[in-house]
Amino acid sequence: MKELIELKVNGEAYQVSIEPWKTLLEVLRETLNLTGTKEGCGKGDCGACTVLLDGKPVNSCLLLAIESQGKDILTIEGLAQGGQLHPIQQAFIGHGAIQCGFCSPGMILSAKALLDNDPQPSEAEVRQAISGNLCRCTGYTKIIEAILAASKTGVNGERI
Amino acid sequence: MGINVYRCLPRFEYFAPTTVEEACSLLRKYGAEAKVVAGGTDLLVDMKRRKSLPRYLIGLKRIANLNGITFDESKGLTIGAMVTLQSVINSVPIRERFGLLSSAALKIGTPQVRNMGTVGGNICNASPSADLAPGLLVLDVRLKLISADGERIIPIADFFAGPFKIAIDEGELLTEIQISIPPPRSKGCYKWVTKRTAVDETLVGIAALIALDTKDNICSDIRLGLGSVSPTPMRAIRAEELLRGKRVEDKLIKEVAVLAAKEADPRSRADYRRRMTEVLVVRAINEPLRNIK
Repeated sequence: MKELIELKVNGEAYQVSIEPWKTLLEVLRETLNLTGTKEGCGKGDCGACTVLLDGKPVNSCLLLAIESQGKDILTIEGLAQGGQLHPIQQAFIGHGAIQCGFCSPGMILSAKALLDNDPQPSEAEVRQAISGNLCRCTGYTKIIEAILAASKTGVNGERI
Repeated sequence: MGINVYRCLPRFEYFAPTTVEEACSLLRKYGAEAKVVAGGTDLLVDMKRRKSLPRYLIGLKRIANLNGITFDESKGLTIGAMVTLQSVINSVPIRERFGLLSSAALKIGTPQVRNMGTVGGNICNASPSADLAPGLLVLDVRLKLISADGERIIPIADFFAGPFKIAIDEGELLTEIQISIPPPRSKGCYKWVTKRTAVDETLVGIAALIALDTKDNICSDIRLGLGSVSPTPMRAIRAEELLRGKRVEDKLIKEVAVLAAKEADPRSRADYRRRMTEVLVVRAINEPLRNIK
């Protein structure tokens, strides 16, 4: 029943042997030990399981691992480069946008997808971009501030 | 009943056909024990709830030619069944000429769900509260269904058979949605209110398309699509007849709205749904009127 598949995660190719009913979320966490991506609701409402698939935010709890082959998968673990946090991660820390941290991986990845497409979004566009990521702790204000701050960091032409 | 979601999916055997023919032959072979999976945003949730337990899952993502959006001034718009909701929102021809579909797609789910969910999946899930359906009904779209025996093209009005039921034969696959250019001097829109729950399911969804005569304010065509107020999405046929061919006036628009609310047949929260149908039909007619040149 198990099938050998190849998943490209954070720039690395992984060969994993998994059953067809395993979701991408399960394989990331349990087979690849990339536990940064979280399970919240399991049904596509909360966004805690958000990863980027070819740059687009998706709910990994509703993706079959077997159907995620041939795509570039980015998880929260793939953001920091050479020990340096990504500007969005730094902004979240600097602006108090993290309390318990459970929503943060998904939230940060949704923000990255937004800023990669639109480096200078309006506040309304930021709110729309994170509308699929629920936060129980912060009330979203600091999160939105952090994302807007991170977007202005990129103003000198550096892509963030 | 399954309000709760299991953490894991039930077991199934999985196929990844690369052609429509292959998919149809698998559907024919496994019949009622098989289900196709498009974006997975409805089916996988049902499977996690154990409401749906297909022994065989036929993945559609590897089939070529189901992802296209093509627009032609003479032929109109074709949307492949596997086009994602976000692709509908991003499409310039859809936004410019069929804007009510862009608005409807933007209502659905979350950014993540819209990157995964498909037009075909939304249609075939056939939820009574589906957001694309009222607009598709109003645009009189045609659906292309392919099976091992050939293909047929049917009007969407014939497709919704009941709550979560579609008039599709075993072995058939929805491949394409075909939309003709709306009449000249016409505009449409989609208005909705939600249930104010975590999921924000649509409580009443009204799509309207209104066309004016070349010279004056005579309504040459009016189409009203009602969602979430009856077992299947519907057109308010009698309400449309009140306005078609007549001069557009506030008093008449109000009568149209009252009749549309009467034509609705809501199962729950009926009083409020009928009231909101009235309110939204008035708004859904007035807004496009302001934009017709």
